[in-house]
Amino acid sequence: MKRKADVILLMILLLVSLPSFGQKTGHFYNVDQEIRIEGKIQKIVMEPRYKDNSPFLIVTLEEKDTKKLYTVEISPVGFFDQDFHKGEHLIVTGSLTSSGEKEMNIIAREVQSKGETFILRDKHGFPTWRGGKGLMGRKGKRKGKRF
Amino acid sequence: MLTVHSTLPADSFSLSFSQNMTNNLFQNRFAERDQLSNLSFYMDKNFSRLSLFAEGKYSYLFENSNLAYYTQDAGLDYIYPIDEKSAFYFSVAGRGIFYRSEYSDFNYLSANFFAAFKSYLSQTSILKSNYSLDYKNYRDSVFDFISHSLMVSFDKYFQTKTTLKGEIDWGYKYFFSPYVYDEVLTAETNTNSMGGKGKGNAHGSYQYVYQTKSQADGQGIQVFSLSGWIAQGLGNKIGLRFSGMRQWVLSGQNPFFFIEEFYMVENPSYDRFSWEGYQLGSQLTLLLPWNIQLKLGYTMANKEFPGIENLDLEGNPLGIIRKDKRKQIEVTTEKSFPRFSVFVSYFYVQNSSNDLYFDWNGHYFSVGIEWNIPLGAKQ
Repeated sequence: MKRKADVILLMILLLVSLPSFGQKTGHFYNVDQEIRIEGKIQKIVMEPRYKDNSPFLIVTLEEKDTKKLYTVEISPVGFFDQDFHKGEHLIVTGSLTSSGEKEMNIIAREVQSKGETFILRDKHGFPTWRGGKGLMGRKGKRKGKRF
Repeated sequence: MLTVHSTLPADSFSLSFSQNMTNNLFQNRFAERDQLSNLSFYMDKNFSRLSLFAEGKYSYLFENSNLAYYTQDAGLDYIYPIDEKSAFYFSVAGRGIFYRSEYSDFNYLSANFFAAFKSYLSQTSILKSNYSLDYKNYRDSVFDFISHSLMVSFDKYFQTKTTLKGEIDWGYKYFFSPYVYDEVLTAETNTNSMGGKGKGNAHGSYQYVYQTKSQADGQGIQVFSLSGWIAQGLGNKIGLRFSGMRQWVLSGQNPFFFIEEFYMVENPSYDRFSWEGYQLGSQLTLLLPWNIQLKLGYTMANKEFPGIENLDLEGNPLGIIRKDKRKQIEVTTEKSFPRFSVFVSYFYVQNSSNDLYFDWNGHYFSVGIEWNIPLGAKQ
């Protein structure tokens, strides 16, 4: 009987852990861990972050004052929406999801670059980026720009 | 719940409203004031790497309420990574536009396929390419068309905070049957000096009318353009950009004798396939205190419209091709709050044309709000 209960418990634990496969522990937007950093882009890659989902645009940022390295998660469609380059200056507001490692990880909520602001999540961390329409110039239409 | 670690990266829903005012709705010398209210929603839902999206927009005109319309878009998209520096993006979308009585000829259903490729050749240079296929089926079949567009661009960032970008575009548009047949000719029909026939134009009136040519004039238009820009970062909160573009019509010409463009209304005979010439622009973007984003822009364009003949104010052909020179000033400011963003924009357009009907200027003012409502997982 005890053995049967152990098997059921094991199955439950397995089911609970399956959806988080591929995610680091505690990898979620925590508003209490929100920080704002400024720095220069050191590296740009597209990298899988969440199981079975589109890879994210990931930027490695060197903080201006401390020279610490931060890995910044932008968004999946961000790879096509934003043309960042190594050496560009970014101001990032986001949630720190890991620290104490060589590189710290930030889930970005807002990115500022070259006089423009890109809002990626609301203040609670819910994503606000959009799918394919973002690549088709809808922003201009919204602001009444059709002459 | 077991779904506490949802793997959905984004399910978003947003509502937006904008109020637009202009003193020249129909963009011609007989300026007419109107206000246009837009109410729209946008939503998307992710299933693994596939994203479904839908957007609906209702536009209401206060003075010309018979021009009110509803637009519905829906589609899906997919990102296919090749490696950590390159990826493909694909989307398939459909659209329907439904105007009220005055514009019902322009009601259409369309399908679009879009494929894009982006690759970091190095950490400071990007190669991009995309292809777009559009098919539009109008209520009035003279406007039905299919078009192909291909773009390749390359940019390079320098440590002086300067970015250089060059772009090549090619496009082909094919009207399936841009000819008016006898049964649709009406009392307003004109015969013009070039031997074509169709509905007469209505200079001085807001009603859209058109003329088409004889079949010998062809149905396909091929365009090619070269463009580039130089962008300079000034400090960390200011961006400056100068851009230029030159477009040529390689073959074909507009099958319509008369074209118009209306504020916020898509017109199948006035688009990137209708002109050749050049365009120069400059834009300054600033991040002001309280995270307010400000954009100032100036654009000038010099366009010639192959196949579009000048008409006098009575609608008689003058035997010369229409040429326009346009200057445009833009001021846009935007502020994002935790759950919503607001924007205010102003445009001034001055259009000088050798066709007096299109010698016009106009002021366009918009104010709007967009509200994001989270639906999916926060992560």
